[in-house]
This record gives sequence, C-alpha cells and structure tokens, in this order.
Amino acid sequence: MTDLIIFLLLLALGYGFGRYAESKHYQSIIQREAEFRDIPAVTSKFPPLTKPPSDVELVTGSVVISVDYFKRFIAGLRNLIGGRVTAYESLLDRARREAILRMKEEARAFDGYIIFNVKLETSSIHKGRKNGIGAVEVMAYGTVLIKQS
Amino acid sequence: MKYSNPEIPEGINTSVQHPLKEFFLLTGGILGGLLIVIVILTLLADRLAIYIPFELEMELATRVMDEEGADIKPPPIEDYLNRLAAKIAVEQALPAEMQIRVHYVDDELVNAFATLGGHLFMFRGLLEKLPHENAVAMVLAHEVAHIKHRHPIRSMGRGILFGLAIGMVSSTLGSAMTDQVLANTGGLTVLKFSRDQEREADQTALESLYRLYGHVEGADTLFEVLARVSEDASLQMPEFFSTHPLSESRINNIHLFQAEHSTAVNMATESLPSAYAVWLMPAPTE
Repeated sequence: MTDLIIFLLLLALGYGFGRYAESKHYQSIIQREAEFRDIPAVTSKFPPLTKPPSDVELVTGSVVISVDYFKRFIAGLRNLIGGRVTAYESLLDRARREAILRMKEEARAFDGYIIFNVKLETSSIHKGRKNGIGAVEVMAYGTVLIKQS
Repeated sequence: MKYSNPEIPEGINTSVQHPLKEFFLLTGGILGGLLIVIVILTLLADRLAIYIPFELEMELATRVMDEEGADIKPPPIEDYLNRLAAKIAVEQALPAEMQIRVHYVDDELVNAFATLGGHLFMFRGLLEKLPHENAVAMVLAHEVAHIKHRHPIRSMGRGILFGLAIGMVSSTLGSAMTDQVLANTGGLTVLKFSRDQEREADQTALESLYRLYGHVEGADTLFEVLARVSEDASLQMPEFFSTHPLSESRINNIHLFQAEHSTAVNMATESLPSAYAVWLMPAPTE
C-alpha cells in the first residue's frame, strides 16, 4: 500500500513539475525565437557567391533535458502496446529548439548575421534503471557568417 | 537570395493531446486487460491447476517446508510408512515424477493429511488407534489419492495459479506473490479439500487397496475407530474429522464397494509389524 502511495505521489509530482517546467520553457522558447528571428539558421552547406566576403566562426548550442517521472511512466506503458510516444515528442521538440536558440545566442555574440550548414545531434546521455531513457541531449552546430568591418 | 526562419505554428512536431488523457487511456486499457486475464484465470483455476508441473509443486513445497530434519535418520515407523505408501503408489499408477514422502509427526493429534509436493503427514495419535495394516493402508491410500488427483495444488487454487502466471512475466514479482499466498494460507497444513475431492480420494483408495490385498476388508475400520474415539471424548473431536469430514455416505460407499468386490476367498487383514507399538512410543521429553 505504501508502495502504491509513494508511486502515485511520484507520478503526481512528476506530472505537476513536468507540466509547469514544460509550459514555462515553451513560453521562453517562443519569445526568444521571435527575438533571434533576424539570424536565420539554414542547412545549406555553402553561402551563395553573391554574399559579400565574410569572416566565419563555428557556433554550437547544446542542451540536456531530463524526463520526468510521469513522462517515463506513460512512455513505459506505451512500450507495451506501441504507437506514438507523445510524452517524448514535446521533450525532444523543446530540446531541439533550445539548442538552436543557444547556437543563435552565440552567433549574436559574434555579431553574425546568418548561420549556414546547421546540424543537429541527439543522444540519450543517461540510461536509467533497466535502460530507460533518463535525459536527452541535443546539440546544434553550424557556421556563422560575420560581416567584415 | 533571401534567407529566413519563418515562425512555425506550434503543434507540428508535438501532439496536442493532453497527457492526462493518454495516461488514463493507457492505464485503463492495460489494467483492464490485466483484469480480464485475472478473471479468466480465476474461472479456470481449478481446471488449469492440474497442468502445473508436479516438479514446480515440489519446488513450492520445499520453499515452505524447512528441510532441517533431512540429515537425521528417519524413525523406523517412517520407513515402514514410506514402504507401504510406495506399494500403494504403484497400485494407483502414480506418474514417475510424483514422489510420495511420508512424514511421521510425534504428536497426540488424531490426524493425517496430504499437502503440496507429495508430502504426507501421519500423526502418532491416529496411528496408535489403528489395529491392523489395512487401516493404515487405507489412510495412506486416501492421502496418496489426494496427491494423485492433484488436490493440494487445486486447493491452493487461484492465488498460486495467478502467482505462477505473473511469474512468467516477472520472475521476482511472481515468486514474491506465490510466497505471499503460501504465507497467507498458513502454509501447508490447512488445505481444505472439497467433499467431491474426498469422495474421489476414497474411491481411488479403495480401488488401490483392492488391488493390493484382493479385498477392502478393514478399510472401514479407520472410520469405526475414529467414531469410537469421538464418542469416548465427546468434547474433543479428532482433528482428522475436521480435515476429512466424516459422513454416513462415505462409510456406505466403502460397504458398497465391499459388496461389489466380495469375490476374494481370504478376507483376513494383514497384521501390523511386531515392532509397530514400539515405534510409536512418544519420544521422551526433556
């Protein structure tokens, strides 16, 4: 019985804090995306030759986000029957967008105006008990073009 | 050429579905599925229990029974009872893997019972009251018949079956559960057999006695002796009655069987070994 109570408590805590953190994070992501919209991040390998000669710099942004207890539980149930793991979709969406934003922040520090050849790497950095995913890391990197003064 | 990152509408890479909705759907569906499995197992418990391998039953029994006395040389009475039980087991055509082990309990209780894993317990109180080998054989044959028909595991019933079923999915959870069931039912001593099971055991016992001795003379002595005991001490019913409910019809069944099979010429009962009384001397208390 105590086990069940502890389990439900963890589930409720995971849900409460997880939901709160997620909605806060999304607010911040949407706001900062608008802020950094003037620095496009594109996947083209090379800038067009028409661009004026620029300095280039490697910029990276990485983020680690942990799974909460609630997400892990429903993902675990999902494992039994299959289907879209919606609990992890928002987790990875947040991680990707946050990584790109951090990369853009670095680009802004270089006073860059566009990032080329953007790539994303994803890895689960902590395998919890029974190999369950504990936290996910997403890294974004690219080449920023800086106007020559 | 113009490069830009347009504002992408939310909800493209994520699901808009509320997480709690998914949670209730998933838990509801999976718990519901489990519930259905439990209901099916419960309904079929009695019929499925006989498919539990006897080896597994023996393993369950050893988990509860302490095998401390295994090294000590068994008392001669236990040897005698085991030899008799082995003969009966042959007559009842027990499968090879069903090993019968008789344990002698030095206690005044007028009782005998069969339990998981082919273990029989015979109490001194009962053995003292039996005048000839045929009566002892009747008790043994009755208990061996319980084992043969898998009555102990069937009486443990759904709890064990469910535990073993869960054990297929999660070994630790399953064995914890069967242990719990064994603990809750008070271990091995309080298995209750149904009236039908007692009747079935009686029938098999009589058939095996008939094959062993050529007649079933003396089989009813067991019940006559017990009836006399309960009259003598009207306050204290022999324990055997509470585990083996005595009814007129059971004695009648014996007489009926006797009447049908009364072809044997020699209806004499086998006498007990001469040392029988000595074997049954209660161990000196310190």
